Amino acid sequence: MKKLKPLAAIVGAGRTKFGELWYQNPEALLTEAGLKAMESVEYGLRRKDIQACYFGSFLYQVTNKLALIPGYMSRELGMNIPMSNTEAACGSGGSALYNACLGIRSGEYDVTLVGGFEKMTDRAGKIIDDLMFAGDPHEFDAGYTFAGLYASMMARYIHDYGDSSDGRCREALALVACKNHHHAVGNEYAQFRREFTVEEVLNSPLVADPIRMLHCSPVSDGAVALVVVSPEVAKEYTDTPIYIVGSQQATDDVSICSRESLTGIKATRLAMEKVLKETSMTMCDIHLAEVHDCFTIEEIFFLEDSGFCERGEGWKTVYDSYESFKGSKHIPYVNGNSELVVNAGGGLKADGHPVGATGVRQVYECFKQLRNEAGGNQVDKELNVALCHNIGGTGGIATVHILMREL
Amino acid sequence: MSEPITRRKILVDYRIRAAKCENCGRVYFPPKSFCDIEGRGSRMREVDHFYEKGTLLSCNVIRGPTKKFDYLKSFLSGIIHFQGDNLKVPGRITDYVPPPEEVDVTEFIDRGVVPRFRKTFTDGTSGLIYYSSMNFSFEDDYYPFQQYLPIKPSVNEKSSKPGIVGYGVYLPKFRIKNEGHGVLGVVERTLPFADEDTTTFAVEAGKRALIHSAIDSRYVKKCFVGSESAPYAVNPSMSTVSQVLELGEPYEDGFFSGGIDSQFACKAATDLFIDAAALVAYSTFGGEYVMVIGADNSQAAAGDPLDYTVGAGAAAFIFGKRNVIATLDCYVPYTSDTPDFYRREGEEYPKHGGRFTGIPAYFKHVGTAMKAAMKACNLTPKDIQYVANHSPNGKFPYQAAIEAGFDKEQIEPGLVVKYIGNLYSGSCPTALAAVLDIAKPGDKILMTSYGSGAGSDAYIFTVTDAIEQKRERSITVKEQIENPHRQYVDYSTYRRWKEG
Repeated sequence: MKKLKPLAAIVGAGRTKFGELWYQNPEALLTEAGLKAMESVEYGLRRKDIQACYFGSFLYQVTNKLALIPGYMSRELGMNIPMSNTEAACGSGGSALYNACLGIRSGEYDVTLVGGFEKMTDRAGKIIDDLMFAGDPHEFDAGYTFAGLYASMMARYIHDYGDSSDGRCREALALVACKNHHHAVGNEYAQFRREFTVEEVLNSPLVADPIRMLHCSPVSDGAVALVVVSPEVAKEYTDTPIYIVGSQQATDDVSICSRESLTGIKATRLAMEKVLKETSMTMCDIHLAEVHDCFTIEEIFFLEDSGFCERGEGWKTVYDSYESFKGSKHIPYVNGNSELVVNAGGGLKADGHPVGATGVRQVYECFKQLRNEAGGNQVDKELNVALCHNIGGTGGIATVHILMREL
Repeated sequence: MSEPITRRKILVDYRIRAAKCENCGRVYFPPKSFCDIEGRGSRMREVDHFYEKGTLLSCNVIRGPTKKFDYLKSFLSGIIHFQGDNLKVPGRITDYVPPPEEVDVTEFIDRGVVPRFRKTFTDGTSGLIYYSSMNFSFEDDYYPFQQYLPIKPSVNEKSSKPGIVGYGVYLPKFRIKNEGHGVLGVVERTLPFADEDTTTFAVEAGKRALIHSAIDSRYVKKCFVGSESAPYAVNPSMSTVSQVLELGEPYEDGFFSGGIDSQFACKAATDLFIDAAALVAYSTFGGEYVMVIGADNSQAAAGDPLDYTVGAGAAAFIFGKRNVIATLDCYVPYTSDTPDFYRREGEEYPKHGGRFTGIPAYFKHVGTAMKAAMKACNLTPKDIQYVANHSPNGKFPYQAAIEAGFDKEQIEPGLVVKYIGNLYSGSCPTALAAVLDIAKPGDKILMTSYGSGAGSDAYIFTVTDAIEQKRERSITVKEQIENPHRQYVDYSTYRRWKEG
């Protein structure tokens, strides 16, 4: 692999626990994560060093009746610098980082703060409706929920690729949940730190047949922040920056009905093609991937959309990898000579899914893993390249970032 | 949702309207002004899929719905593919209640589905009611797919005496049984699914009437919807029916047609048969056809004797003066201020005078009108093949006809109330349709309605040769009554769905 020219570097990261955080306002969560990120910078970071803030959030206007996040965050952080909030549904956090990279690449900024947050439990009874803002209104009026949309994609996937699998395809869709919950046990910030068996997943309450409760990521509160700087100044803040070497985004029709396929995400495929081209990498070069597993089928879609598996083969990789795994820590997906650890912190499924925070949390996890700072949850192998895959809605937007420790 | 948003959605959702690029054939839903491929050089035209059938690409069972669909508890939502235009749209599967255990939804994939005009949701009890045709039922279930193929009128086609050009009856899939041998001769009754109401019944019946008549809807210049259970106190069902069925010459996003909702208890529709026939014969009217629909989700308070006889459904008749299947030969109305059954504004259910609704009300008016009509035409019961009376139960219409001199063979074919219940404004029209389903050219039919408050309209029709050529396009009342896919529900479900 040729030496890559980094686009940006991450020098600090902080997050809150994910879960039902009843006692905190969303802006306070973001402040907590932001301060932790700043305090984590090895050689220190003064607030006045930060030149711009990029936030990602989806529903705060609905859940908390807030708007003008820059104004709130100006008050919280006591700064008057440029700030913007990106809304791209579940892809808001990844989009905020993408925008920050553009700001740095343009030469305008050297030091930025990137934050993602969401406060979903404040609208516990109505959040199912609220999430449908990221769907097409006709999907909403057809009675669809977000779980329902993914359930229709999952049903078609089972029909097309798993019908003759003697139930192994359906089992693989449950194993994704088992794996991610297994990975979350060692993650001190995760919302659910317990194991689930396949039987428990397949006997959990029905949400949208064929999707059951344990195929779904949870409703969560939380915030995550990163200090993202230009590569040129990175070493002023730490000896071990994590470099962003690829940052790409692609979009597609908001409605699953208008897409080319129900059994894959075109935006993911396009963004992945671009980022692999940008970095001259293949999926074999990636050691760790934080994947957008809002529902377990989406993790399998990623394996296929990214090229890690052939179309329709993702469930087999999951099934076989799980069956052949002998260790006790992270369960990698194995396809031929390629080995990929996916969602080392538990993913959206078990770590939690405060929608706007998720894309930033994925980068936080990779940052910690690449720096060997994940503590009890550290992946038990040498890691140098990690990928973050964050999508919005049912695939209306996909943002991918590739991170490296050593260039 | 706001009123302006609703209006914009109506234009798309009622007809499943999409935009098609005339250069490359790509179709876009919701409609857009240019083609992705052809760009600014696109030539886009609107296409609709209201009369088409689709297939289910995928689906799922929603178990925890959004607030606006709480009333359905659990249901199927899916993606529907219209093969002709290669168009995919989201839709809800209606007339289907998933079992509590997991459904293998992959078994539904590739099944044919038919668009249905249904309620999607309501803004509480005082806000708007949202309707859409993006609800679908399985083609191989209760509601069959029928093509709508209007036949261009021949320039040589002669104008005749006004009468019925075509008709359509819609009876919902769901039924409730009366215990034992029935109540007042009613053995089982139709009821609405949770997403149906009087307006959706009217649309379905009107759609079938257009298919049966094979006339172009743009020539229907007036539409009357008679009902005593209209979903809105103010805001006509008729304008919804016209918008969905595109009645009248289109202009911008409206139509050059008119009409009203009418109310006269159970004769709200039949009273207007004569007006419809008169209009098509009136040169200043300037239209070819008038549609009259009787539709009701018949109301009854829980436990009231009516609660064991009420049904739900609609019948639509199109009147014209070309290619009629039955000429309207005689009309005799009879009216008096007899308060036997009434509902005050704002009240949910009607009240009635018990036994007073019999001899002084129903029998007096129906009997008088029947006899007067026969006298006016100089006919005796022997000259008439069938009787179709308003049917509040199975006994009244039978007894009234016997008293007028008719025998069982003339009465039974129209006595469908036994299996569908009292459809209120749709009752007498449905009985007429059941008779027309089997009538032969030359047969005479005496139809007599009754509306509480009170009045009767007696009509005599003579069936023409044209009835035979249209027969294959009808779904008969008997077929609907005996449909093997009809589904029975218990009393609590019946009350819940009926109250909407």
